Amino acid sequence: MITEIPFPLASGDDPGAEGVVATWFVDHGAPVVEGQLIAEAQLDKVSEEVHAPVTGTLYHYVAEGVGVAQGAMIGRIDS
Amino acid sequence: MTATTTPTRRITAAMAMAEAIAIEMRKSDDVFVMGEDVGPYGGIFGSTTGLYDEFGPERVIDTPISETAFIGAGIGAAVEGMRPVVELMFIDFYGVAMDQITNHMAKIHYESGGEVNVPMVLMSATGAGYSDAAQHSQSLWGTFAHLPGLKVVIPSNPYDSKGLMASAIQDDNPVLYLFHKGAQGLVWMKKNPRSIAEVPEGEFTVPIGEAAIAREGTDVTIVTVSLSVQHSLDVAEELAGEGISVEVVDLRSLVPLDREAVLNSVAKTGRLLVVDEDYRSFGLSGEMAAIIAETDPTLLKRPMRRLAVPDVPIPYARSLEYAILPTTDKIAAAVRDLMS
Repeated sequence: MITEIPFPLASGDDPGAEGVVATWFVDHGAPVVEGQLIAEAQLDKVSEEVHAPVTGTLYHYVAEGVGVAQGAMIGRIDS
Repeated sequence: MTATTTPTRRITAAMAMAEAIAIEMRKSDDVFVMGEDVGPYGGIFGSTTGLYDEFGPERVIDTPISETAFIGAGIGAAVEGMRPVVELMFIDFYGVAMDQITNHMAKIHYESGGEVNVPMVLMSATGAGYSDAAQHSQSLWGTFAHLPGLKVVIPSNPYDSKGLMASAIQDDNPVLYLFHKGAQGLVWMKKNPRSIAEVPEGEFTVPIGEAAIAREGTDVTIVTVSLSVQHSLDVAEELAGEGISVEVVDLRSLVPLDREAVLNSVAKTGRLLVVDEDYRSFGLSGEMAAIIAETDPTLLKRPMRRLAVPDVPIPYARSLEYAILPTTDKIAAAVRDLMS
């Protein structure tokens, strides 16, 4: 099963603003367990932790620091 | 990976600090946290993030902006047997509370003939690099190491951030815990990947007073602390490609000071560079020179080098700020100079 992970933050006044995955705590292709901290996302100076929704193998769609649209998928977990 | 009994995972140094505090708070109701914005905000550099949600407003206490009052309150709680962890938001703010810190926190156990302990941790953010200017960018560990009575610990990585915090809280003596804003792994700071690392989930301690050989080498010894350890490790990797073998000694605490670790490394390499983000004169780098000179000046094959902040206030302008900070290019140049 594939579970995609959305960028977790939305800007109140600028739907076009891009965010970033500031930190990937788990490497591309590495195993994760449900609830594990996998990333920290940032938008407009607000940051939010991203935790694994399921247990499996994490794959990044975006690199750290690269602009991401609100609502875009930042990665997936194969389980 | 280190030998531990609990699983590890990658977290930031800030998370590691908060995790150590949380573990100690679960173990004992005597441990509590106090300071400016340590509550719902979670500490402006992330040192207390999550603690308010778990322990609530009676054990994670937001204070008014009065450092003298809340550091004094922490000292009072400590002498009555509690184990406060008090945050001074920036070490630069020490001035208004210096009497509490150096005349009370640091001296009560001495003045009471050892009858009254002050098992308190004062944690504070240090360091420059993001244009916060002269009153929010200092290191100042030399000042507190100079004045007797406090242990002074300075982590450089997430593992030590957690282990030294656990040791600091468990210590019956007053401990000043200085963490570099730029080594916390925060998303809004320029981030070295070394600020995020594998840390065991469970309890462990790092002993206070033991330096770490952060990297072994044979040609040049770099003695340093805090964020400069990360820079020095980056330089050591770079210079390995040029055939220069750099040993990096992370002091981890200035009080107590692991003199043996410094002397042993310099005895091996014969070349010493001290990298210090604190001011140059009358500080850490001069102390290292004194240790060598008092013990055996012939350990050095070449005159030692000091790379520290020249004795000026930290500039606001980014270009001037980086002109005076011990950056990787300056560290590399100093090592090459020692090898030339």
